[in-house]
Amino acid sequence: MSDINPALETFAQEVDELLTAMEDALLVLEATPDDVDCINSIFRAMHTIKGSAGLFGFDEVVAFTHEAETLLDKVRNNEHLIDAQLIAVLLACKDHTAQIIQHVLSNEDEPLPIALQQQSEALITQLTGTSPVAKNMTSTQENKADHVEVDVNTSDSSDNWIISLAFKQNALRNGMDPLSFIRYLQTLGKIIDVIVSMPTSLRMEEMEPEDCFLNFKIVFNSRADKKTIEEVFEFAEDDCNIIILPPHSRQEHYLQLLEHFPEDQLKRLGEMLIEIGALTEKELDCVLKEQGSDHNAIIKPVGEMLIAKNILQQPVIVQALIKQEAIKQKINKEANYIRVDAAKLGYLINLVGELVISDAAIRLIVDKHGLSDVNNVVGAMSHLVEEIRDTALQLRMVQIGETFTRFQRVVHDVSKELGKQIQLQITGGEAELDKTIVEKINDPLTHLIRNSLDHGIETPEERIQAGKPEKGIIQLNAYHDSGHIVIQISDDGKGIDSEKIVAKAISKGLVKPDQILSQTEIYNLIFEPGLSTKEEASNLSGRGVGMDVVKRNIEALRGSVSVDSELGLGTTVTIYLPLTLAIIDGFMVEAQKERYIIPLNMVEECVEMNSTEWKIDHVQHYVNLRGQVLPYLRLGDFFHNNKKHQATQRESLVVVRFGEEKAGFVVDELHGENQTVIKPLGMLFENLKGIGGATVLGSGDVALILDVQGLIQYAKKRVSPTLALSMTD
Amino acid sequence: MTKTILIVDDSTSMRQVISIALKDSGYEVIEACNGQDALNKLTGIKIHLIVCDINMPVMDGITFVKSAKQLDHYRFTPIIMLTTEMADEKKQAARDAGAKAWVTKPFKPPILLSAIAKLVLP
Amino acid sequence: MTVKVSHDGTVQLAIHDEMTIYNAHSLKEMFLDHCHSGAQELQIDLSAVTEIDSAGVQLLLLLKLEAQKRGFILRLLRHSEAVIEVFELLKLSIYFGDPIVIHANWK
Repeated sequence: MSDINPALETFAQEVDELLTAMEDALLVLEATPDDVDCINSIFRAMHTIKGSAGLFGFDEVVAFTHEAETLLDKVRNNEHLIDAQLIAVLLACKDHTAQIIQHVLSNEDEPLPIALQQQSEALITQLTGTSPVAKNMTSTQENKADHVEVDVNTSDSSDNWIISLAFKQNALRNGMDPLSFIRYLQTLGKIIDVIVSMPTSLRMEEMEPEDCFLNFKIVFNSRADKKTIEEVFEFAEDDCNIIILPPHSRQEHYLQLLEHFPEDQLKRLGEMLIEIGALTEKELDCVLKEQGSDHNAIIKPVGEMLIAKNILQQPVIVQALIKQEAIKQKINKEANYIRVDAAKLGYLINLVGELVISDAAIRLIVDKHGLSDVNNVVGAMSHLVEEIRDTALQLRMVQIGETFTRFQRVVHDVSKELGKQIQLQITGGEAELDKTIVEKINDPLTHLIRNSLDHGIETPEERIQAGKPEKGIIQLNAYHDSGHIVIQISDDGKGIDSEKIVAKAISKGLVKPDQILSQTEIYNLIFEPGLSTKEEASNLSGRGVGMDVVKRNIEALRGSVSVDSELGLGTTVTIYLPLTLAIIDGFMVEAQKERYIIPLNMVEECVEMNSTEWKIDHVQHYVNLRGQVLPYLRLGDFFHNNKKHQATQRESLVVVRFGEEKAGFVVDELHGENQTVIKPLGMLFENLKGIGGATVLGSGDVALILDVQGLIQYAKKRVSPTLALSMTD
Repeated sequence: MTKTILIVDDSTSMRQVISIALKDSGYEVIEACNGQDALNKLTGIKIHLIVCDINMPVMDGITFVKSAKQLDHYRFTPIIMLTTEMADEKKQAARDAGAKAWVTKPFKPPILLSAIAKLVLP
Repeated sequence: MTVKVSHDGTVQLAIHDEMTIYNAHSLKEMFLDHCHSGAQELQIDLSAVTEIDSAGVQLLLLLKLEAQKRGFILRLLRHSEAVIEVFELLKLSIYFGDPIVIHANWK
């Protein structure tokens, strides 16, 4: 647009005149409240100002005068009474309008000062009796006009829209010249071909030349979307039947959109098609109207009608119907769920636990008395008990996905707050674990993700400088690994500076200056309480906010946590958690007359302890198992320090694994698999090293459940790194 | 051939802004400040499109459209009415009078320009 | 509008006006007269057509149909700029089959 300033001057002048006229009219109204001319003049003032202000993009003026205009229209139609009070409000509105226009004219593009905004709101409240809603008509209209074009590759020249236009008799008389629309269509793309047709039976003699008989089929190449194309013909709507058939590439695009259609809500076919842009509301209205009008005939489904009327191609409809059916089934499935009180479920699982113990007791007695005829029955029952146990535990299993997706919001909000660009990628959400664990893992996870957000991922500027993409990525992944669930939180941030951690740990007295530490040991320092105060966190490459708390929470769940990091590349925190807290498959061993349970899924193998082949180092406590350094632990010695081990006794080595780490437990006897109901240890034993819980055996005896992870750590500590190296040569 | 557009609106600034925008796009523009004024200007000159407000003093838009539709030279001239979102009855009245295209007030110039272009390209 | 009748049964019509809905009635009457005249060939000179809209196009299309039904030849000659623009837009040149001469100075 060339020079708009003279128009603005005119606008200011016009507003002045209109508002003066409004004031005069309002004053006259005080005396004669039903003067129609005065009411009209006041209405026109607000109406005209609103219209002109909209033209200049003065949205605040539009929003305010709109309310006054609406009310005055009611007054004009005798739907609202005008009284002294309203006149006073309108006078205030007049003054206020002058003020805001004064503001927008002198401070272009600046928002209204708060005082004026508040005044606007106060007056609108008085005018409407309700508070203003955040509504901006100008912008909604703009949205409509700037309808987003979907970028689909339509460069293939054979891939075209087919637009059919059948004009009605009066189109030309109404000024709706088909040529105009077709000309305008060219602004959106390329017209490949046009087929003009008219009824062949038409004869010159009978023809009324002002009537329209023309039909057009237009082959049109364009990247515009269906709605935009439909809008070309918006004025012809009354005078023309319009069918817009999308090109093939669009069809594929629609099919793709249908594939990813959200499954949370059952929608009608038409609604789904509108949502993906394959159908416009007008087209649907038209079909529904026809469907409704045909009372006698059997009602045809919308999908069939859309195909019959050539509005959409069959594959799109078929795909939409398939999707609809899938959603229906999913929702039905959800409707099949029963909500159960978690306490009842807990009680059931306790009972199942007792049942498992009773089962073991029965088997014991059967064995003891050699009741071979009972054996089969007991075997079958045990099998059932096992199944009951698994099913009962399964009841409490939930997918971790929901917990994960909640973090999307956290990441979105926090990254905005911090001015960082961060994307959360979630994988493995379908992994299941016990509900009680899911509930308790939420806090530690939040902690870890906040850490990544706060200190892991750098600011966009820092990232660009480091040659990384602007947008940081946090990955949340879950998977099952031998009876555990593994949750990983990784980021592609700046990583952990191990030197700084060591320096910090030395200054805190956590390690001695001359101590040699492996990378893993250094990273594990992060979980030490002394290193986890907030102030230090930012200096320490930003890790350590309450990490000791995180570790304690996870260990309370019989899980573990470890960190791995590469400076400049990112950090990965790995959490191991048991699938359930109630019952496990255990492996029972015996050492010095005491029975112990090792979770079965942690047992790698059992071998005979053979001193000649293995170069058993009794001082350092390691063996050479097929060329591998394996630290070992004599369970009997560990738990009964006073008793001395007798070398002559035949011993077994149980190789256990936790994550990447292995160790061997030396035991006197192997008792085999055993269903283990975990009984929590009392408060008194909570801090017992190497023990994770206890269980009641069928005989009524108590066996201790080993904390394998803790014991592995203990075993490894006794082997010095230098020795281990020489072993592997 | 240059296309001529008649703007009928009682707001001077409105006419002025529309007029500038239209001239920039390559149209000829004739302005009228109400229905009567517009009728006076329909003297047989070629008009390709009329943009008309509804609410105007002296002669409102609907009366004007009815009269224009009676004139030999302007019977078939396309008309865009400028309406407000609340005037449903008015809209029907204008439709009956012979106006078939609409732009809702308030609008910004590009909206009106694209509406006009659909009926008459410059 | 001028009419020229040649000896060989060719009638030439020159339209000196617009071809729009405003004069559609008179155009129709004129075309109809010539359909009835029994001429073997009807030539229409479009060089002075300043404006043509859908009503005008419709009449030309109908005339072509009548020519086929009645068995006379319809030739469109010397298309004006306005006519060429519309024929290009609707890809009508092939349908009418008449050579269109585009002047060198046409933009």
